[in-house]
Amino acid sequence: MSASGFRCVAIAVCVAFGLAFWRAAADPAAVAQIKSRQDKLRDMGGALKAINDELKKRRIDWDNTVMPNAQTIKDRSGYLLNWFPRGSGPESGVKTYALPAIWQNDDDFVTLGKLAQVEAAKLNQVALSKDANALKAEVEAMGKACKACHDSYRSPDYTKENDN
Amino acid sequence: MESALADTTDLRVWDLPVRAMHWLLVIGIGVCWWTGLHNELEYHLYSGCAVLWIVLMRLYWGVVGSSTARFVNFVRGPKAILDYASTLHRRDTPRSHGHNALGAISIVFMMGLVLAVVILGLFAVDVDGLYSGPLSSYVTFKQGRDLAHLHYHWFNILLWVIALHLTAVIFHFIYKRQNLIGPMIHGKRPVDAGDIGETAETEIGGARPLWRFVIGAVLATAIVYAVSIGFYF
Repeated sequence: MSASGFRCVAIAVCVAFGLAFWRAAADPAAVAQIKSRQDKLRDMGGALKAINDELKKRRIDWDNTVMPNAQTIKDRSGYLLNWFPRGSGPESGVKTYALPAIWQNDDDFVTLGKLAQVEAAKLNQVALSKDANALKAEVEAMGKACKACHDSYRSPDYTKENDN
Repeated sequence: MESALADTTDLRVWDLPVRAMHWLLVIGIGVCWWTGLHNELEYHLYSGCAVLWIVLMRLYWGVVGSSTARFVNFVRGPKAILDYASTLHRRDTPRSHGHNALGAISIVFMMGLVLAVVILGLFAVDVDGLYSGPLSSYVTFKQGRDLAHLHYHWFNILLWVIALHLTAVIFHFIYKRQNLIGPMIHGKRPVDAGDIGETAETEIGGARPLWRFVIGAVLATAIVYAVSIGFYF
């Protein structure tokens, strides 16, 4: 290989490495925004799982598990739509499952978010009523409300190494 | 017996349960793949349980099934594997009756991977916390999410091993002129030069009694049911 050819390859390698580490330079505000959003959504997912686990165990601890977790979901869902300001998508350079479609189909995204808030409020009511059959139905409705949004506006699991 | 065999040109190589489990596993893994990719987790759970049942049945049949189904008859030591591998380039080698020494490794590896992927799936948690694996109540949300990612990555490895398996089948078909797919469908393979004088003993030992299969089916169903309710009786 000629010396100039070698130089071209060396420069190309440097550029490739540079691009690979480019995302390290992401805006700190976007990093914090996305991290906080992920933590809160993870709490909500964990809360629904905790309630679902009670149904699986068929020994439902209403006071210590179902009620506090239903409360967490309801409280957090109130702020759900504030967690996705424009610029907090993958264009921020931060690793996120949020798809650009969120900001392209704003109306649909907001509709789905509000439906999730409605289900979260219902779930909280059911938790207070301590009706096991109603809880089973409402956990499914809540999960489907989460899934409706995730199916359209969240990258599938397999596109990333992990959730972090 | 000898004369009866002399009249036929085919040898029975795979019994019905082996063939049925092979193709059911193909369908089962296909359904799991599609439902997993499209986030149809409700059906993914059913197909995953079906795959678990099939693998458990195959393991059981590998102990009590007909000769070619049994692990003791096809899992061989390193010497037999190397001997077989050294003849791989030759076109005139006799057909192996059942799994060949090298194929046996891929079968054991594939079965192990399928089982590992299923077990990871049992503990995996979906992002909605809704259609999680039946044993996910034993792990936290975060652990279950990590296992869901592993479940996916190990499935990818399984796909590569399946690709290798298919490559070997195509290699036998094109290079060695041996059709391995037909026997897996109808259970028979043609007699060839290597079989002279040993046909009677190499052929699978007739039909296994139905009750053996039924016992395994009942056991496998009981295990899958217990798993599916997370052992909360």
